[in-house]
Parts: sequence; structure tokens; C-alpha cells
Amino acid sequence: MRDYASPGVAILVVGSALLAGVYAVAVIDRMIGVLVAGQGPSWGRLLAEPVRSSAVLALQQRRTTERPDAPGWALAPALFAGLAAVALALVPLSRDLVAADPATGFVVFSAAIAMVMIAVYLHGWSPNSAFALHGAYRYGAQALSFQMPFLLAMLATALPAQSLSIVDIVNAQESLWNVVRQPAGLPLYLVVGVAVSFWGPLNLADGADLAGGTSVEDSGLARLLWAAARAAMLVAIAAMGASVFLGGWWGPWLPGAAWVIVKTTALLIVLIASGHLLARVRIQQFVLISWVLLIPLALLNVFVSGALLL
Amino acid sequence: MNGLLTDAIFWVFAIGSVITAFRVFRTDSMMRAAFYLLASFAGVGGILVLLGAEFLGMVLILMMAGEMLIMAIVMVMFMMNPAGLNPMWMVHQHRIAVAAGLVSFFALASVPFLVDFPDRPALRPEEATAELGTELLGDSMLVFQTAGVALLSTMVGAIAIANRNGRFGEAEDGSQEPAAEPGTESRP
Amino acid sequence: MGLKRTLATLAAGAPTPVFAAAGLGAGAQVQDLRLHHQVRLVDTPSAASILLVAGGIPDSLAQSLSRLHDTMPHPRCTAWWPLGALPGLWLANFPHHVAIDHNIPERLRAIHGELVNGQRPSEPPMLADEDPAPWRGIGPYGQGGTGMTGGTPYGRPMAELGPDRDGLRLDVLPLNVGPFFPRFPAGLTLELKLAGDVIVETGIPVNLFRDSDQRNLRGDKISPFTRALSEPVLVSELELARARAHLRWLANALVACELRSLGLRVLRLATTIGSGEGDSLHSLQRVLGWTQALGWSTKGVGRVGADKLVGLGLGPVARASGLAEDVRAEDGVYRDLGFEPIVQSEGDAAARWRQRLAEAVQSLALAARAGDRLTDPGGVVESPHGRLERTTTPADRLLPLLPGLLHEMEWGDAVTTLVSLDLNLQETAAVEVVDAEAVA
Repeated sequence: MRDYASPGVAILVVGSALLAGVYAVAVIDRMIGVLVAGQGPSWGRLLAEPVRSSAVLALQQRRTTERPDAPGWALAPALFAGLAAVALALVPLSRDLVAADPATGFVVFSAAIAMVMIAVYLHGWSPNSAFALHGAYRYGAQALSFQMPFLLAMLATALPAQSLSIVDIVNAQESLWNVVRQPAGLPLYLVVGVAVSFWGPLNLADGADLAGGTSVEDSGLARLLWAAARAAMLVAIAAMGASVFLGGWWGPWLPGAAWVIVKTTALLIVLIASGHLLARVRIQQFVLISWVLLIPLALLNVFVSGALLL
Repeated sequence: MNGLLTDAIFWVFAIGSVITAFRVFRTDSMMRAAFYLLASFAGVGGILVLLGAEFLGMVLILMMAGEMLIMAIVMVMFMMNPAGLNPMWMVHQHRIAVAAGLVSFFALASVPFLVDFPDRPALRPEEATAELGTELLGDSMLVFQTAGVALLSTMVGAIAIANRNGRFGEAEDGSQEPAAEPGTESRP
Repeated sequence: MGLKRTLATLAAGAPTPVFAAAGLGAGAQVQDLRLHHQVRLVDTPSAASILLVAGGIPDSLAQSLSRLHDTMPHPRCTAWWPLGALPGLWLANFPHHVAIDHNIPERLRAIHGELVNGQRPSEPPMLADEDPAPWRGIGPYGQGGTGMTGGTPYGRPMAELGPDRDGLRLDVLPLNVGPFFPRFPAGLTLELKLAGDVIVETGIPVNLFRDSDQRNLRGDKISPFTRALSEPVLVSELELARARAHLRWLANALVACELRSLGLRVLRLATTIGSGEGDSLHSLQRVLGWTQALGWSTKGVGRVGADKLVGLGLGPVARASGLAEDVRAEDGVYRDLGFEPIVQSEGDAAARWRQRLAEAVQSLALAARAGDRLTDPGGVVESPHGRLERTTTPADRLLPLLPGLLHEMEWGDAVTTLVSLDLNLQETAAVEVVDAEAVA
């Protein structure tokens, strides 16, 4: 009943999906950037640029600062990427195609998102640098604030399925997608998704006002891995959102896996576009809105969904 | 999964938990102590998953992530150790602590050898989470949900009241944020 | 190795990561580099391969350049873009630098290509790699290493606890930000004391460009506003320059709001816009409203009361706080054109944004109507930053207000406020050029 792919296959599949996803994020980001900036997109250059920029970073020296926490600094991007892999492994491509389908898939996903706090905090603490530390603490405040709305928004999707397994949640959307059943859920999830991967308007951890925040002292492979991990987390969030809100593999004409990819890409475009089209949110405002507005909204979502089921 | 892989993973988690727990007290950095403790808990969570208690294991990791981050931040806040950068000694009453630790370890470790465990193979539960929920909460599910929300509001309210000046200063002063230097005007 | 060569070939075609230190006369030129795909201006030297020093750098900033250089990872190189400035003391510290003067994006990419291919050696560090606070072991008075909290640390000042603000006493961190912090105007150094993320104290910044002899000596680079101090200038030229300056400021401000692509769009507009094209700015303002750059990002941030700004002639900053101070209002030429100063009342960052946009629209309309009219050189000019005179600039008058303004502000809000103030520390040197020429 509960399927798990063998470890070797799972690592291969999730790894390649993440690589493809990270590349897709880089290309979509540049594409939207070029469109918003009003420059004519040069496709050849656009498609090659992520690879070329990665090569620049791969050839750069990895610098160090005065008395950093070296193990922590090295661990943070690896931890972040690992958490993105865990989150992506839970996303089913079809009823029988999933890398990992634990009975408590929702809790595993939430645990992965919660551990992101640790990864970002370590990344900011370790370089022993003022701006990096500032970014880490900001992310701590941001992350602790959105944990509750996030859990509650996703919890509401588990109610119609009466199960915490992601495959069951997608199965329960055969007749009606959760985005229609619980209209407040997806916008809430997307806001929190942008916050988890500190993208665009909620990029308070690595923000422009901190000259790069937690990444200010990164160079070379460390910088590359951190950027890749952030993109990977964005992919995982989009994929999970596509599964629990947009019906996963359900859809006419195309095979299930194709639908998952289409829906994930759609959510990715929305998430990435927010970085080009929405201005920076102030940390005080985000914390306030999160506790005062988003939690009651998420609670209301849960209660209404629950009441409809009774 | 075959038994050898399961055993290997169990030993990795078990030994990892013990080593990181030991490192909590031997490290001299507050940050590292908090994160070593998190690693130890994560190992325990992994072992719980191996025992079939998936929900408990994952919830343990979920909760400990937030808790250890808050513990690290609060340690830095309240210790007289600027920004947690000074090396420091993590234990009080060193000898008593070692003695107590050894005694409890041997007491707990002797349990599997001295106790007569029943020989009833347990069935792997189909709906482990549902069974856990029914076992813990029984018919009072709704009460616990409501109590959870009420507890959250109470905590927030208690902190707001216990705060000496309230969030924005004394009410008589018009709830203004207090000034950075006492005695000067705060910005409107 | 085959892998290394493949990587090098790929890297040579990538946008070159460049950290730009823009000195006198170089601000607009360096900003224009953002429009070229061969170059990527980065926020931190840790991400850069090339340190681009442009324009005139005063000797007091030489040490900062060396520190920036040593922060860059290998392979690295320094490029100097004179733009008519004299070589300064700092150049002596950079024996391996490359001088470039034309086709800058391609030259930077070529240098980067040589670096990754190994054809150009990476520059060695300039400053000695010494520990500012070497560990001295346990001292006679309990310093170092013992006790619950490790004793008193050597070298660094012990963090002072700040006053009790809300039940929590935080350590106060002294921090120096600048002079090439990417969100600040070039040359601005802030000596801060931070308690958490709140600024509790700022020293009054000193304008290091002010008395430097690194003046930009090329006549055609002197801005029309400085020329207008001593000679008649076409009103249309002046107003067009004003509109473009405001748009350039907006392009930088959008980067600070995490809207980089929109900033590029505005930058292109700033370089191509002509007189009478104010309508494109109306749609721009609408778009800015939707993105919330005028909403949650800047609303209520950095409010400045009119009482603090009276009589200082701080241009759009003063007018956004409700003061109708504008040198142009006293000029007969402008009165003929029907000029009325635009005034907002809120005085926060959003008001300053809206003020500059409105003034850009107004300037473009004035430029279209002006025809051949010339300004009246009276020794006072309204520059895009405020009242410019021969001996003082708006920045001179605004810098002393900064400590009071940034007091008790959260860091992100402080950056937003500083960006919205549009400080220009480099206007000052141009004034002295005019003086020298007038005297000579």
C-alpha cells in the first residue's frame, strides 16, 4: 500500500528532477526579468546563461572569513538542498509513481520546511559577519511567523482526503480540485511559499539592503550551491502546491506525469514572477500580518473545510 | 527494505544520537550546542520512524527544528556571552552531572537485559496516525483542537501582559515605543 | 584537465561579475553598465571577479579600495576607468591594474576571459593577512579562556549592553557601513551603533569627496546644473537633465526594493527619454503603484517633519514634506513658463518617490515648452537634489540631519529612507571646479 522506490532509484530520480528544476527556475527567472525590463529576449543567450554563470562560480575560489563556524558554513547549503530533495521526493507523478509515499507525507513535508529555518540560520551565523547574522535573525523571525499559516493551510487539504498521505490527498481531488474547494488555501500557500524560499518581495534574509544578507561572504561553489538550493526549494514548493491544491496528476488528455509538470511550471512562474513584480515587504509588516491576519485566515479555512465535510 | 540496510541505518542513527548528545556538553559554542542537540533529536526521530511510529518521529523533528532555533537565539539573548562568540563551559556542577548521567544511563541500559519483554509480535498498523490519535485523544478531539488555539492566544496574551512596558510603552505615555536612550524623546 | 578547460570556456562567455566603486564623475556611466548583458554588477565583492574603479577617488578612500580588493575571491583583477580623473594615491597600491577607457563591457569580459583561462594571473592580496585580535592564551588577570563565559576577550571592545527598551537589553554593536555599500551613494560612510536591527546611534557622516583634489576636469562632464551657476544654460537642457537624473535615481531605488528588472526598464527610459514624453511616466507611476513600491515598501517610512527642513533648500525632500521651496519659483524665465512648485504633505519615503516622479513629468513638460529660453545665472541653481550654490551643496546641508533621521530605525527602513533622500556626495566637487575656473 505504501510505496517506496528503492534508495538508489529514488536518489537518481529526485536528483535529476531537482537539477532540471533548478535549471528551469534559472531560465524562467531570466525570461521574466527580460520581459519586465523590456529587453528583447535572446533565447540562445538566455538558455546558456545559467550554465555559464555556474561555470564562473565553479572556477572561483571559496573564500573564508575571520573565525567562521566552518562546519556549519559548509553544512548549510547541503542541508538546504537535502531538505528540498526530501520535499520533492514526496510529490507523486501518478498514482503509482512516487519516490516516497509515507502515511504521514504531510508531516514529513512540514518537517522539511521547518528545518529550512535551521539551514538559513546556520548559513547566516557561520561566516561571523554582521550582515549575514542580520539576515539570519530576520529569517528566524520570518520563518517562525509563517510556520503556523503554512501548516494550517496545508492541513485543510488533508481534511477532504481524511489522510495525511500526499497520494491520498491527490486521489481525493479526482472530482474537484482543492483550489476550488478551499479558495483561500492556495493564495495563503503561495505567500508562505515565497516566504520559505525567501524569494523576491520576502527576500529579507538575502536582501539587497544587506548587500546579499546571509550570502554576503559566500563565493565560488558555496555561492553556487546556496543559489541552487534556494531554487530547488522553490521547485519543491511549487510541485507540492500543484499536488495538494491543483489536483496533481488529474486532468484530461495528457498523461498524469505531464500534468504534474505543467501545473508545477505554472506555480513556478507565479512564484518567480512575484520577485520581479512585487516590491520588498518590511519585516515588521510581515510579522504583524502573519500573526494577526494569516493565522486567523488559515484557521477559518480549516474550520470551514471541516464544517463542509461534516 | 532488507534487514541489513535497516540495521545499518539504525546503528547510524543510534550512534549518531549518542555522539552528538555528548558533543552538546563538550562543545564550547552555544550555537553548536543547540544544533548538536537538534541532530541528536533528529536521530531519535529517525529511529522512531524505523519502529513504525512515523507520525511521532516526523513531528519530533518538526517541533525540534523550531525549538532548537528559539533555544539558540534565547541563549544568545540571555547569556552574558556577547553574541555567543566567546568560548564557554556548558555545564554546572561538573562532577555531580557526570555521576547523574552515568547512573541514569546504566539504569536505563539495564532495562532491556533485566526486564522480561512479552513475546507478542505486533501487527504493523494500517492507519498508524488515526490509531495514535484515537488512543491519545479519544472522543475529545474537538476539545483538544479548541484548547490548542486557546493556549496559543493565552501564551501571546501572557507575554504581552508580562512585558514590563507592554509592546509600545506605558499606556499613560500614549503607548509610544520607548526611546533608545532613557530620558530622551522617542520618535513619534 | 578537460573539465577545467570546459568550465573556463563556459565561464568566458558568461556575464562578468563586477563590483563597481564609482568615484567622481562616474555615477551615471557605471549605472549604464547595468544595461549591458556582458557585465553583471554585484552587490558584494565576494561575488565579483573584477573590481571596477571608475572616476576620481580621493586619497582617503584608498584603504577601502584595498580592502574591497582583498575581499574578492581568486581569480581577480582590478580595472580602472579614468573618465577624465587624475590618478590618485590608491593607484600605487594596485600595480597590476588594467586601465580601460572605451567599449567597457567588452573589455571587462575580455579581462574576465583571460582570468579564467589562466592567461592573466590573479592579483595577489594587498593587505597583510594578520589576525586583528590574535589569541594570546590565558592572561594574568583572567583574560581569555577560563570561567563560565571564557573571561574577557582580548583585542575587541566588550559589547556594551544597550538601555532597556522593551524589557530586553541588547548588546550594542558598533558597525561601520560604507563607503562603497551598494545601496548608499558612493562615498557615504556611516558609523553606526546597532542594537539588534535597530540603529541607536549614528555619527555625522563626513563627505570625503568635498575637499579632495580628485576633481573631474573634463569640461563636458560637468553637469548642466553646475554650469548654470555661472553661465546661461538652455532651460530645455536643464529640465531634461533634471528629469533624467530623477529617473536614474528611481532605477537605483527600485533595485533597493528588490525590483531589479523594473529598475532596468526605468534606466533605459532615463537614457532615452526626450522632452514632452511625460505620458510614459504616468503609466510608470501606475505600475509602481501596483507593485506596492509606493505602498507597503515605502509608506510611512522615514517621515521627516517640515520643521527640520525649513530654509535648508533640500529640493524634492523638502517639497515632499510640505515646504514649497524651489529656486525656480523666483526665476522670471520659469514664471513665464507657468512653473509652480509641486508639493506633497506626508514627508515619508513614498511621498519623496511620488515627488520625484511628479517633478520629472513637470520637467519634461517644461522642456518641451521652453524653446530657446536661457536661464539667468545668479549663483544659485535648483539641482535635482536641492539648492545648489557655489559654496554649498544640498548634501552638505542634509548630512548633519542624518543622525536624527536614522535614530531608532530598523535597518531595512533606514536603507529605504537613505535611498529616498537621494544624497549626492559628488555634487560638491563640481562646485570647486567652477570656483577654480572662475578664479583662473
